[in-house]
Amino acid sequence: MLSRVADRVFWMARYLERAESIARVAHTFSHLMMDLPKGTEVSWGTLLDIFDVSQEFTDLALPFGEYEVLEFMIASSENVGSIRYAIKSARENARTTRDVLPDEVWESVNELHMYSKEFAEKSVARRNRFKFLNHVVKRCHALNGLMMTTQRRDHTYRFIKLGHLLERVDVTTRVVATVSQAIDSRDRSNPAFDALIWAGFLESLSAIGNYRRCVGPMVEPHSAVNFVFLEPELPRSIVFCLNGIRKALTDLKRHEQALVPIDEALAMLESFDAEKLSPASMHQVVEDLQSCAERLSIITSTTWFLPVTR
Amino acid sequence: MMPSEAPPRTASRRLYDFFSKISPQEMRERSVAAGLAIREMGVSFTVYSSDENTDRDWPFDVIPRAITSEEWAPVVQGLQQRSRALNAFINDIYNEQRILSDGIVPADVVLGSKNFKKVCMGMSPPFGAWAHVCGTDLVRDIDGQFYVLEDNLRVPSGVAYMLENREVTKRVLPELFQDCDISPVDDYPSQLHSMLASLSPRKNRKPVIVVLTPGIFNSAYFEHAFLAHSMGAELVEGADLFVDHHNIVFMHTVDGPVRVDVVYRRINDEFIDPEVFRADSMIGVPGIMRAWRDNKVAIANAPGSGVADDKVVYAFVPEIIRYYLGEEPTLRSVKTYLCMDPVDRDYVLKNIAHLVVKPANESGGQGLLIGPHATVEQHELFKQLIREHPRNYIAQPTLTLSTAPTYVDQAIEPRHLDLRPFILHGSDVWVTPGGLTRVALRKGSLVVNSSQGGGSKDTWIVGGER
Repeated sequence: MLSRVADRVFWMARYLERAESIARVAHTFSHLMMDLPKGTEVSWGTLLDIFDVSQEFTDLALPFGEYEVLEFMIASSENVGSIRYAIKSARENARTTRDVLPDEVWESVNELHMYSKEFAEKSVARRNRFKFLNHVVKRCHALNGLMMTTQRRDHTYRFIKLGHLLERVDVTTRVVATVSQAIDSRDRSNPAFDALIWAGFLESLSAIGNYRRCVGPMVEPHSAVNFVFLEPELPRSIVFCLNGIRKALTDLKRHEQALVPIDEALAMLESFDAEKLSPASMHQVVEDLQSCAERLSIITSTTWFLPVTR
Repeated sequence: MMPSEAPPRTASRRLYDFFSKISPQEMRERSVAAGLAIREMGVSFTVYSSDENTDRDWPFDVIPRAITSEEWAPVVQGLQQRSRALNAFINDIYNEQRILSDGIVPADVVLGSKNFKKVCMGMSPPFGAWAHVCGTDLVRDIDGQFYVLEDNLRVPSGVAYMLENREVTKRVLPELFQDCDISPVDDYPSQLHSMLASLSPRKNRKPVIVVLTPGIFNSAYFEHAFLAHSMGAELVEGADLFVDHHNIVFMHTVDGPVRVDVVYRRINDEFIDPEVFRADSMIGVPGIMRAWRDNKVAIANAPGSGVADDKVVYAFVPEIIRYYLGEEPTLRSVKTYLCMDPVDRDYVLKNIAHLVVKPANESGGQGLLIGPHATVEQHELFKQLIREHPRNYIAQPTLTLSTAPTYVDQAIEPRHLDLRPFILHGSDVWVTPGGLTRVALRKGSLVVNSSQGGGSKDTWIVGGER
């Protein structure tokens, strides 16, 4: 497989996963804000924190209102962290790698791009927002299903998996960090609404049903975090993603260096228990996990992707 | 829904019947369905403009164009003959240059052409084949005869659109395929693959074939990706390849370097190797000419093939055919006036209002004068250009291009069209059944280029009645 092509399918998968995550989180977040009584809401800015684009938004000098924030996250063509941008980038990467992907993948990514190009801007207001976000999530699911059922288990598949899972680790850790911080920093903490927020958090990671079956009906903050970090059978848990990355890496040649940050992260999680951690040390764990993901991203690039200098 | 003018050709009979019975409503629906299919399949081409490159949906007309297999057979023969003669010509130019010393073609026309590449002298590629893929533009004049308008021997494009046009037609007019005996076209990628494989310098092992593209911003990128995918070859950009000091070409892969045997390049000669041609080329592969000259890699089309792709050389093709093959040309060429010849030039300057004037070396319908459609100022401008650089211009009579029924603005009207079949030249010569039909969508226009408002049609070679 060409190094350049590996690079691009990796990013196609990352951007698709990012589009889905933003859609999913924005959806849950919007619902949550409707449920929370006035005065107990978390700020719309939290959404920006999760996707690490607060600074970019602040630069625009817009109010932190629902419409402005969601327009920035859904429809902005400048925001590198918007749904529209992620889909467009996924499509550009798919367009230049069509020759290694099943035909339907390109057709489907292209359709998704045309859909978002036409509807993203019209879908910021609540009335059309949910339809749009749902559609994006469904399309991404369909694409993932398509790749799982039609893509040969070759290097292309491995780099797709790598991009997809690495993005998941990134988003999941960010969601955990931001949600716990947002709850801690509110003036009036209210356990009843905290539970609601944590349930929303699980929902945004499509983990709420699994949580109820495995842990119990009431969502309790610490066990929610533990579940999302440690549950080995949950496709969005950190451990699940790290194991998947490990598997994809071991099937590639010259993988030794890339395994180092993954094994570090897995070792760190072996002794992880949210209940025993202060907010500060919780924050540290998240930072360490993100640094592992970041290092893996760099090593992947230097080991398998096209050398920058010719 | 059909205009009732001249009776349809026999090949078009069934099409005529079908589209006559169809209601305007259904016609609209079928046309919309075709547009949707094209979007879904992502069939696009890139248009260059000053500020940005835009990706446009491929313009397609739902009504196919039909040619009978009886009409087509002699065209195939003529194209094969032409391809054999042109390849013999290129091979001769880069070796003995017999045709020049025998005075059949003037030496300065060939050796002074910017498409003559001195670095190719002494090369003899397998089967004497240089222009492995050729796209020849044909038109039908008012007499119903096919004429060759030009031969594209450098990096001809359009074949993917030919294949996709058929795919779209199958989706939107499936009924017609039940009743008509239409030659399939989807064999092209495998024909191309086996031709390319036969060029590999390393025998006895499965050759590694790559398609070399200038990248996503090239107007034919869609086609490059399409062909690579349908041949199961790697689609590479210049930066993916490198040449080592043993003149071996490699590609960067996730498993390390892999040797490449055959490069189907879609980059022009000027940009292919900054060591030899343009040093500022960012899209080429430094050293690939060394590798080719050392027979470590095959390049299709071979560098330097463009020497026969010159409108002045075109005028000599009938002589070239007689010289190398000892046969009479079976396909007609258009009468061509060479502005470098004083007698011809005089004629052109006097009759410019009735002629089409073309630059000898350009492509894409640019810098062209269609005398009858041009203003007096334009006539004067071209006269001036011809006087200054006579070698750079040729002129031809304005042909009455044939028309075919075309769906424009919710009505079926006649529009002018041409046809580009593709010829593969390896150990033998293979011609696509039909080719890419391009149609001028503007009323009365003769310009069929997609970059200038042209469209396209599926092209059917139709057998006898079932």
